This record gives sequence, structure tokens and C-alpha cells, in this order.
Amino acid sequence: MTRGWRPGMSGRPMADRALNVWGLLVIAFLFTPIAVIVVYSFNSGRLLASWEGFGFDAYAAALSNADIVSAVSVSVRAAAGAALIAVVLGTLCGYALARHPGGRIGRLVTALLALVLVTPEIVSGVALLPWFVSLGVDQELSLFNSGWVRLVVAHSLFATAVVTFLVRARMQGMDSSLEEAAADLYTPPLRRFRLITLPILMPSVLAGALMAFTLSLDNTIISAFVQVSGSTPWPVYVFSAVRAGLRPELAAMSAVMLLLTLAALAVVALVLRRAGGSKDAVNALSGVR
Amino acid sequence: MTSAHRGPRTAWRAAPAGLLATPALAWIALFFVAPVGLVFWYSLGRKPGLYQTHANDVLTLDRYREALGDTFMTSFAGTLRIGLAGTALCLAIGLPFAYWLAVKVRPHRRFVVLALVLVPFWTNFLIRTIGWQVVLSPEGFASRALQSLGVTDAPFSMLFTRGAVLLGVVYNYLPMMILPLYVALDRIDGSLREASKDLGANRWRTMAQVTLPLARPGIAAGLLLVFIPLMGDYVTAAVLGGARGTMVGQLVASQFQQAQNWALGSAMAVVLILVIAVTILATALAGAVCTWLLTRRRRSELAGLAEGSPA
Repeated sequence: MTRGWRPGMSGRPMADRALNVWGLLVIAFLFTPIAVIVVYSFNSGRLLASWEGFGFDAYAAALSNADIVSAVSVSVRAAAGAALIAVVLGTLCGYALARHPGGRIGRLVTALLALVLVTPEIVSGVALLPWFVSLGVDQELSLFNSGWVRLVVAHSLFATAVVTFLVRARMQGMDSSLEEAAADLYTPPLRRFRLITLPILMPSVLAGALMAFTLSLDNTIISAFVQVSGSTPWPVYVFSAVRAGLRPELAAMSAVMLLLTLAALAVVALVLRRAGGSKDAVNALSGVR
Repeated sequence: MTSAHRGPRTAWRAAPAGLLATPALAWIALFFVAPVGLVFWYSLGRKPGLYQTHANDVLTLDRYREALGDTFMTSFAGTLRIGLAGTALCLAIGLPFAYWLAVKVRPHRRFVVLALVLVPFWTNFLIRTIGWQVVLSPEGFASRALQSLGVTDAPFSMLFTRGAVLLGVVYNYLPMMILPLYVALDRIDGSLREASKDLGANRWRTMAQVTLPLARPGIAAGLLLVFIPLMGDYVTAAVLGGARGTMVGQLVASQFQQAQNWALGSAMAVVLILVIAVTILATALAGAVCTWLLTRRRRSELAGLAEGSPA
């Protein structure tokens, strides 16, 4: 499988060079706005877009702004809840799908989860708002009037699908003989799950949890619909600031959160790499099966 | 020994494993199927008064008639245009990139490049869009740079145009195109390309007749993953398009958030789903017809080359 330059194929190095340039241009394109946000987070002026001078004022202002800190905290707490639900439901479901792919329940769940993944966020958002209102107000389940509960439930749907497909991909690559051996040795089911299956699944569960967390942290559209005033999550706060006028504080807080997301990503990457390859994650994420 | 024990034990194992999917199924049914069903139900109702959001006492298709009025059709057409153009541009930009990543980048560097593609994917898309707003705004650095280079005299403003919205959506959904394309191209055995070359095909022929047909599932997945969320996106349009970039998503959102007309908003959401579904079906059909025609032509070519062969 040598792909080197061969005599008689003139023009090949040029095409390769063009592809290299294209690749680097696309990466530059992808990073342009992120670089801009990071640079402008050091803008000491009052308006985000007009550069006044270099300074850390925006960071100080962001961390002392009660609204910003509260929005970020709402987002982090919602993301933690959504990730927890997604991990529990998704791990069980992904395991079941990998071990019993032909079952009727399995096929139905797979179809529904795929549907969740491809439904435009706005449809999920407009569907969940009346649903929460009828549950919380009409059915008097006051649980669903809590902003945190609404965000957690809304964000857990997509995240459950992601975790399910990650866990299923991981489980499909695993031989079931270990579990069978344990069963033959009369290990009870729960103990078997804890001692054999869970350690095998751990990388995908961990990766899924972190992905669920970041997905929830970033969700804007669904959150805008289901949020309750008083517990506005961070992206919705930013979106309202777009209309009211953007200040460098937003860029500063975004830079901080970018740093945290990157740290989480690095952990995911390390775990996946140790577990052997990034393809599972990419597959599950991109919905390609 | 095992065969004697495996029968009943496998059955005993199977029951709980199948049941393990039911919590997720119940969750999805309760918070996805039921609410979306409710949207369909509301869309057949009406807004009875100023302070009520919906009523289903009379079932009617009037909301659909209302949703298909002139303003909405203009917006639908605009959204569809942006959706199709954005998806096509994502494919045009993403395909060479994914090919480069899967074939040309050395394997030990591939992980790093893949991570680089993933970083923007995991950065809040609203923040990234605001980054573009800063770039494109008249007082932003792009405008200043162009002015200092003498390219333009007046402050350069691309903000709040259709072009800015197109740039924003292409930017935001490009990773969704690159990832499945990369996965599909990466799966193709390199020796197939080598074989094609050894049989005398040039680079373009290999691309058109070996690589692209094999990458078809990835292309289809990429198109879906870009087109569907793009059609529902209104945040990008709101940040970069202002009033000019009105997308259907904004109209739906305003029915729920400002006008408090859930019946009309639901009807518009249903129309949006239908428009997306019809476009996807039409594209899939066109793709299938193209494939069929190409395959037939190639078969007749092959049959002409090697008579009697069962090609």
C-alpha cells in the first residue's frame, strides 16, 4: 500500500499539494471565529466588536457578573443531570441493542433514537414546551415547572441516543464469551454486569457522559423554548445578549468554557485512544452505522 | 457440559437483556413521541382568544392554510434556498477535505487533524457565530484590515446579508459533513484505488467510478446531517442575518414565544418537517435514478468490452 510518487504520473504531486493547501485552509476556516473570540476576550473596551486595547478587564467583569455566573451554573447543573440520565438509560439500552439486535423492542428503540438524532432542534423545542406546560400546569406535576428539570429532560433525549450508539458500537466489538463464562460459573446477573460488562463498557460510557455533558452545555435552541425565567442557561443568555449588545465579558466567559470543554475533550480522546481507535466515537456521533 | 446448560440459561439471560432497552424506550416515548404527537394534534386546532394558546374543540386545517400564506411561503422558499445551497457548499468543501484526511494525511497525524475538526464542533455554535459577527461587522478587524490595505474606503459590511447567513450555516454544519465523509472514505480499502490505477484508470476516473460510489453511504449521511438541522436553525440567521435572514425557524419560534399561537406554530412546524422529508425523498430518488443510469451505462460498456461475460 505505498502511495508515494511514481514516475509516469506527472501532476500527482501538484494535486497532492493542492489537497494539502485545501486541508489547511479548511482547518483555518474552522478556527477563525474561535481565534477571534479568544483574542477579543482580551478587549478592554466596552463593546465586543470594537477593539480598544489589551487587558484582562473582561475576565474580571465576567466572573463578578452575577447574571453570567448564574447562567453558567444553571447550564453546568443541567448538563450534569442530562449526562447522568443519558448514561444510565443509554448504557442499558446500548447493551441490550448489541446483545439482542433482532428484538422487536430493539428495532423500535433504534428507529426512535435515530429519529431523535435527526429531528431538527426547533421541532423538539416546540414539542417539549407545550408538553411541559401541560404536565406541569394542567396535570399539576409541579416537578415539570422547575427550570432545571425541564432542561435536564430536554437535553437528555439527544444525549441518550449518543450514549446508546456509543455503547452499542463498543459492545458489538466485544466477544460475549466472557459473560457466558461468568454465567457458566453461576455468577448472578447483577454481579456479572458489574464485574465483567461494566469494565468492558467503561470507555464508551465515560466518553458518552462527557459528550452528553458538552452537548447539553452548548444547546441553544431547545433550551430557549423549555427554559423557565429565572433559570436561564448560558447559551440562551448569550443569545439574548446578541440582541441587547455584545460585551467582551461574553467572550471572556466563552474562552473559559472553551478551555474547560477542551480539557474534557482531551480526556475523551485519551480514553478512546486507549480503548483502541476513535472510529466508534466518530461513528456514534455522526450517526453513521 | 455447556450445551446441556446453555439452553435454559441463554433464555434466562435474554429476558433481562431485552428489558434493559425499555427504560430508554419509555423515556423517548414520554418525552419525544408524545410531545411531537401533541404538535400534530395542536396543528389541527385554533387559537381561541388573546390569552389562550390553543384549543382543539373544532378540528380544522385552517392553520395549515394560514401557515402556507404569502409571508410564510417566501420565508420557506428562502430557507429552502439557504438549506440547499448550504448543504451543497458543505459537500463541495467537505469532500476534498475528508478525502485529504482519510487518504493523504499520514495515519499518525490523522488523529490530531480529526481532533482539530472536532474542536469547533464542541465549541458553542452560538459563540462561533458571534465570532463571525465580529469578523464581518463594519468596525471589526476584517473591515479595518481591508481598509488599511486600501481595498475599500468605506467600512466593509457583509453583516446582515444572505451571504453572511450562508457563510454562517456552512461554517456551523461543515464538521457534520466532514465526519461521516471521513468515516466512509477511511473504510475504503486503498488497494481498490491501486487496482483501478493498475487497470489504467486515471485519477478522475478512479475518483468517479471507485472512490465516490464506495463513499455513497457517507455522502448520504453527511447530506442528511447538514440539511436537517440547517433547515430548523434560526440562531445563525438571527445573529448574522438580522431581519434579512428570516428563516422558517424564526417564524415558528415567534409563534410560540411572542404570539403565543401554538396552533399556528405547530402547523408551521409540521409543514417544516414535511418540507424536509419531501426534499430528502426527492434527493434520494434523484440519487437512485442517477446511480441506476450510470450502472446501466457502465454495464453496457463492459458488455461491449467483454462479450459473453456475465457483467
